[in-house]
Amino acid sequence: MTIKIACIQFPGSNCDLDTMHVLNNVIGIETHLIWHNQFKESEFDGCVLPGGFSFGDYLRSGIIAAHSPAIEEARVMLKDGRPIIGICNGFQILTEAQFLPGALLGNDSLKFVCKWVNIKVENTNTAFTNKMITSSVLKIPIAHGEGRYFSENLKELEDNDQVVFRYSNESGEITNESNPNGSLDNIAGVCNLEQNCVGLMPHPERASESILSPTGTTHGRLFFESMIEFIKRRVS
Amino acid sequence: MPRVENKGDELTVDLTEKEIKQIQDLLKRPPSLTEWGMFDVMHSEHCSYKSSRPKLKTFENAEENYDYVLAGPGEDAGVIDIGDGYCLAFRIESHNHPSAIEPYHGAATGIGGIIRDILCMGVRPIALLDPLRFGPLKNNPHSQWLFKYVVKGIADYGNCTGIPTIGGEVEFDKSFENNCLVNVACIGLGTIEDFKHAPSRAYNPGDYIVLMGGSTGRDGIHGVTFASRTLTEMSEADRPAVQIGDPFTKKMIIEATIEAIKTGYVRGLKDLGGGGLSCALSELTGDGGTGALVDMSKIFTREPGMNSFEIMLSESQERMAFIVKPEGLETVLEVFRKYETPHAVIGRTDDSKVLKIRDGEKLVVNLPATALSDAPTIIREEKRPDYLDNLLNQNTPEPSLELEDIINQLLASENICSKEWVYRQYDHEVGVRSVVKCGEGDSGLLRIIGTNKFIAASVGCNSKHCYLDPYEGAKSALVEVCGNVIASGAKPMAMVNCCNFGNPEKPVSYWYFSKAVDGMNDFCRTLRIPIVGGNVSLYNEDEVSNTAIKPAPVIMIVGIVEGQENIITLPFKQDGNYILLVGETKKELGGSEYHSVVYGLEGGVPPKIEEEEIKATWELLEQLYISKIVKANHDVNRGGFMVTISEMCFKNNLGAVLDLSEIKPKDIRDDQFLFSESGGRFILEIDPDDYVEVERLATIKKVYVQKIGVLSSNPQIIVKGLKTKDITINLNKLKKSYQSTIPKLMET
Repeated sequence: MTIKIACIQFPGSNCDLDTMHVLNNVIGIETHLIWHNQFKESEFDGCVLPGGFSFGDYLRSGIIAAHSPAIEEARVMLKDGRPIIGICNGFQILTEAQFLPGALLGNDSLKFVCKWVNIKVENTNTAFTNKMITSSVLKIPIAHGEGRYFSENLKELEDNDQVVFRYSNESGEITNESNPNGSLDNIAGVCNLEQNCVGLMPHPERASESILSPTGTTHGRLFFESMIEFIKRRVS
Repeated sequence: MPRVENKGDELTVDLTEKEIKQIQDLLKRPPSLTEWGMFDVMHSEHCSYKSSRPKLKTFENAEENYDYVLAGPGEDAGVIDIGDGYCLAFRIESHNHPSAIEPYHGAATGIGGIIRDILCMGVRPIALLDPLRFGPLKNNPHSQWLFKYVVKGIADYGNCTGIPTIGGEVEFDKSFENNCLVNVACIGLGTIEDFKHAPSRAYNPGDYIVLMGGSTGRDGIHGVTFASRTLTEMSEADRPAVQIGDPFTKKMIIEATIEAIKTGYVRGLKDLGGGGLSCALSELTGDGGTGALVDMSKIFTREPGMNSFEIMLSESQERMAFIVKPEGLETVLEVFRKYETPHAVIGRTDDSKVLKIRDGEKLVVNLPATALSDAPTIIREEKRPDYLDNLLNQNTPEPSLELEDIINQLLASENICSKEWVYRQYDHEVGVRSVVKCGEGDSGLLRIIGTNKFIAASVGCNSKHCYLDPYEGAKSALVEVCGNVIASGAKPMAMVNCCNFGNPEKPVSYWYFSKAVDGMNDFCRTLRIPIVGGNVSLYNEDEVSNTAIKPAPVIMIVGIVEGQENIITLPFKQDGNYILLVGETKKELGGSEYHSVVYGLEGGVPPKIEEEEIKATWELLEQLYISKIVKANHDVNRGGFMVTISEMCFKNNLGAVLDLSEIKPKDIRDDQFLFSESGGRFILEIDPDDYVEVERLATIKKVYVQKIGVLSSNPQIIVKGLKTKDITINLNKLKKSYQSTIPKLMET
């Protein structure tokens, strides 16, 4: 089978070409760059909402993009169980569109922060983590001004296994020092109840080639390889 | 300032009486007020370089003398051919005055402007670098305010447009307290084909002129003439002359422009920056040998009722002018519609060689196309300042502090300490090209996807050195910035500069500018580095405190590393390896951080650059790179080599045992040797087995190479062989002071 993925380009997306590069050239999966109002869900097996500043994020991160026609198309995909990932601004869009629970608030430092962090894998059953090992630690960069995860229903999230990643130190301990933005309970990424949709603030596409990693890791690939695995399992 | 009038309307212009007379003689009729305004802007120092042009003409012609230079000075950006069908465009520019008045929007629109300069060369902007200069932060809320919001302005704008900020520098000095320097640099990458599709001239009559991007508003009117005056108390009232940036619109303009160029129907392209439409239209037609008729009513404005004067002089941000082939107009407009970028066809080019602007039936502008771009030049007087002799005669006092304490003070000083507080706020990774992370290399390093080439870029200047000797200081800046690029394993390919100086009408200020240009010129000719562009920012003076800035000829160098295996990074790698000092350490402490941090002195004799020594050092390094001998490299800069070695130790928690007994000349004191800022030196890490080979090559090249120590796994630096007792420095403690200076000043 040929898997076809859509990378949705909103006005102001700026990690769209990076994501295209990694999916097409590094992972080797057919991915198309689709302008937000031209997206037709029926043509694709999954979609990626890349990072950036959709519509400038002038009002509130992700809120305007959440009302794009692309999101209504993606909602069909979501209900149908196909995989959807939101990275950084994509995560903000998915929470605003209520594909995912919670909200992303301004960093507690009040400043944009760009650096490599460690995240601990909390749930390996999702469409984007099935190739990961529970409690393993991934090296991956963040770059955001509004990445402080917040939810009023933390217990419910935990009970439903919706916390997918937490910021941790190198040995996987969840500490205050390893929390780069003040996220509730160090949460870096979450999924929907059905686990086919994942959103996270860190950038897997920036962590998929050893040349870009300060320590030579390629942990970002696991997200996309998991997606392929998930699509293959669904079809068979 | 003189006043001009037309039919009872009056306008104050920044033109000299001679210029006014020339304009009247040329037109043989009274110019309209709009025309007066256009001349005023186009003949301002900022647009016309009238004071600096005679001097800048002395630079070697880059396009004629270097076959890989595709575009040199005079274009919006320098462009070089880097092989494999690719080219790089780059430029550096100042946004000093706007940032001194309104740091956030001043810096942000500086970024906006430099991005447009690169974009209008037809290539995609892929990296930003920002050399910044402020007053000292300590006990100075005003400097802290400028610093905080300049950095935030750069971050918010650069991050949103998706262009990584991969480097820069920050220098703190009292002279920049009110007149901070915000220089912005951008690099673009594209194919040579893309570049050829986007000349900044309209050479074909009958093409359409399309204005695209932001609407034309009343902001920034006369921003240009404002940048060509010194800062006075009245400047607070100039706040409306600072433009407001819109990075989202810019992002759309970038994508729409690149897609429009790919259609093949764009024949020319120009950004609207200083001087707005006046500047863009006159340069497009004047340089292209054509004329144009523009219908003012087609220009979309932000508010109703704007007159021709305001429309032609508005410096509203985020606007581009396209020259489009008639048969492709609809295709190009379709691209703009996709990105929802406002646009309008505002006129057509013709063969009249006259720029005509129509307001209804009336021609409000009717000027020979070249009249505006052929600004006059002014020969300025120069005079060496009298105070220099006294300053140069200052001696280094006998140190009253322990050497350990001095080293600790240097690493914690504002000019040397870690700038992590700054670069954490910049997205330095977007674009998936950044191979060496901020703080881990001497220069930003980007891969070119699809090739095995890497771009190394660095910016810098030491204004303290330039203040004492602008000729040697400008050379030192070149040595330092080239050194950054070379330390990363790259070969310097080309240079652009941003000359920040004081009021050229004052002979002393002009002397500084003139000598710095001579220094750059001599160095670049000898070392064979093409100068492919520059920006001149004069009038950097604060009339309230009556101080001129220290002269800052800021240099940007772009180099290429061929092959991933040839990239060199800064951190020391392996204990047991040797530490080598390359280049001669002389008693050169004038303008050093040591003088300023420990004694509060600004004087002394600054480093002198011997081009032949520099050339030999660079050639030696090239040979060592080919033999794969160098494990780490970092150029010696502010504070001397103890700072360099400490910075190299930090990342991997290594230490060093140094023995200076054999290598320190007898006539130099310990402090003078440790903290000298002699240019062109490097600290290398090598395998002990390679030392014989290094010595052999160094002897052939006649380059000073001294083994000064060995790396250890113990995080401390021990220095033996001093005249005074051995010293031991705890690196964990040192690292803490190195890292905490700026956060402490800014976060509490």
